[in-house]
Amino acid sequence: MSTTQDSMDIRYTGEKGPLFNLAFKTGLLTVVTLGIYRFWQKTRIRKYIWSSVDAGGDTFEYTGTGIEKLLGFLIAVVFLAIYIGIIQMVLFYAGLSVMVDPQRASPQEMIAQTIALYITFFAVLPFILYAVYRARRYKMARTRWRGIRFGMEKGAWGFVWRAMGYGFLAVITLGILTPLQTFRLEKYQADRSYYGSARFTQTGKWTELYPAMKHMLIGIGILVLSFALIGGGAVSENVGLIGFGGFAAFVGYVWVIIGGIHYGVQSFAYLTANKVLGDDIHFTAAPRTGFVIKTYIVGGLLVGLLASVAFGIVGTIAAAFIPLLQNGGGMIAFGIVMAVGYVVALVLTQALSLILITQPILAHYIEKLEIVNADGLNRIAQREAETGVDAEGFADALDIGGAI
Amino acid sequence: MSRVPHGGTRPPPLETSGDFFDGETAFARPVNLRIDTDRRLLTGDGIDWPVDDIREVMDQAGGDLIVLRLKGDPVARLILRHGDIRPRLPNRRRSAPLVRRGRLFGWALAAVTSVALILFVLVPLMADQLAEYIPPSGEKALGEVTLTQIREALDDTGLSPVSFCTAPKGEQALRKIEARLTAQMATPVDLSVHVLNHEMVNAFALPGGQIVLFRGLIDEATTPEELAAVFAHEIGHVISRDPTRHALRSAGSIGVLGLIFGDFAGGAVVLLLAEQLIEAQYSQGAEGAADVFAHDLMIRAGLSPAALAVMFERFRALGGDAEGFIGHFLSHPGLGDRIAAARDAVPAGFRPRPLLAADEWRALQDICSDGTLY
Ligand SMILES: [Zn+2]
Repeated sequence: MSTTQDSMDIRYTGEKGPLFNLAFKTGLLTVVTLGIYRFWQKTRIRKYIWSSVDAGGDTFEYTGTGIEKLLGFLIAVVFLAIYIGIIQMVLFYAGLSVMVDPQRASPQEMIAQTIALYITFFAVLPFILYAVYRARRYKMARTRWRGIRFGMEKGAWGFVWRAMGYGFLAVITLGILTPLQTFRLEKYQADRSYYGSARFTQTGKWTELYPAMKHMLIGIGILVLSFALIGGGAVSENVGLIGFGGFAAFVGYVWVIIGGIHYGVQSFAYLTANKVLGDDIHFTAAPRTGFVIKTYIVGGLLVGLLASVAFGIVGTIAAAFIPLLQNGGGMIAFGIVMAVGYVVALVLTQALSLILITQPILAHYIEKLEIVNADGLNRIAQREAETGVDAEGFADALDIGGAI
Repeated sequence: MSRVPHGGTRPPPLETSGDFFDGETAFARPVNLRIDTDRRLLTGDGIDWPVDDIREVMDQAGGDLIVLRLKGDPVARLILRHGDIRPRLPNRRRSAPLVRRGRLFGWALAAVTSVALILFVLVPLMADQLAEYIPPSGEKALGEVTLTQIREALDDTGLSPVSFCTAPKGEQALRKIEARLTAQMATPVDLSVHVLNHEMVNAFALPGGQIVLFRGLIDEATTPEELAAVFAHEIGHVISRDPTRHALRSAGSIGVLGLIFGDFAGGAVVLLLAEQLIEAQYSQGAEGAADVFAHDLMIRAGLSPAALAVMFERFRALGGDAEGFIGHFLSHPGLGDRIAAARDAVPAGFRPRPLLAADEWRALQDICSDGTLY
């Protein structure tokens, strides 16, 4: 029995240039095909990103296909179109109109509208949560490393009611029980995950996520204090106190946002470090919040700058057409130039945010990951292929799942 | 780089090495490989892959690695570190055959069919039902929201919505026409009539009894009776709740279409909705019914229905310039019939009573000399 802890580094080898080209090219194809190509776009971008993840010299492979995503989407659309249609009909029968002119509506109308929006949201919520689980399961089933499949057991509906329950608990405790929600839901999903014949297990305790939540709680504390200051200032008619309270509210707001990012990064680190694959394969994860925030800010500024340059060029070209506007042909040419330019600039912006924000953050998470006791990987055998017909169709139809 | 073999000469033998994953275990096995040109095989220890059946996994990062798979084998992979094998694999770029093709086409067909059913059967049916049950307050709100959307869509400057024309004398004249018409109606309706400061020759009705006349229409009319005829026609739409039905139908269709085309078309959807409402295309039956209603109302108010025919003829003469009316009146083939019907509706020996005094009519033509945004 060897006692040396052999560890395996994970590297991210993706580059900006090729990914930008891929995202831009497939983005234009998506526009040309009125959005239908987006399933193939997503597939090809994932193939690139997955293959950029190199663990011990072997890269990951994404084996999903565009056609199965399209099929899953069609299935979800058929279902959701009917379901949402029926919900809307019921709401109308109940006399709750979702359409209210906010400038003229009476308070009763506003309340009715709010209720109607909530009913619609809560009617769709189970499917959003269902889609979250299904999308993760689909991605696992279509991921391979060293030729061995990842996988995840069925259990989307179990996830739905747990997510609703823990979400409710987190809300009524004003976020204090968020770590319970994060931990239990991740455990539910991790414990149903496999790599080949080996199962993942989520160990650890939910209370140990509180240190990661520290900055969020500080931010909330500042906000509560600032409201007290503003309230106190209003009662005593002290303008200075109100001004100070407003400043404190701003600080608290920023603190909560940064604290939220910190919680996201550090809870991921804790949960990953406490996952076990098989009997003895462990992980270490040390992503840094500072890096993630820096990438958001610097990348966001760069994307904004380059995007405004792109839209500026479109505007300049369009301006050259204005003298032609007098006749009908010029009007049409102007419209076409504007529409094409706008769409190209939009696709460009999406591709830029992929290479300047999404990819660097992903790369950071992956580079800071390490597999401990990697020897055990050699004993893992293949698992059965999974054939779910709906792929991640519900996630696509409900537009969740983010950049990749 | 790639040496294309000349006709007749055999390509040189090729030897390479890489890692093999058999797809059964996660163990990477180093292999030495060579191409057997006689049998057209890529062979190595335990590997006999026909070169024609070898495919390359595409969209891979790191151009120095080449990932090969065998057609029909979903899991086994060969990872090579040199791309010089690429020219020797004639079908490496060919895509995987479509599996379960029947099921795919079945679902695609089902999806298209059900979307079509939803759009052309379920949504209109629901809209017609809902138009009966929607509470008056909801209908009013629906009309107000759509009116705001239309005013924003019509604006060319991109600064503020098209304004309402509200010169007081002109408004008085407009109320007089309204009162003359509504006084003769069996069941009173709650109307709110606006004039929009826009050159389009158009008029339309919106849910909740809103009737919108365009400045272009007033400019085009030569007598107040012609304006009253269009007014009466729009009241006909209000009475039969055509706008409500139409708005609900558009909203439903656009909701379903938005779901299908996703975020990508999100902004375009609102524009489409406004467009649809301006170019309100009711069925020929609904237009005919509104005409009949207008004839009847005009006669009862002591006005000649022939004024409607005059207005229709004006639209026809305007032809392509009357953009808004292409949807509203010209799109229906029976415009000639409708003109004839309006003339036929005039009873024998009918003596119309005057509608507006000359100065009132001038004030109405001048209604856009003053305006408001609300
Ligand atoms: Zn009409």
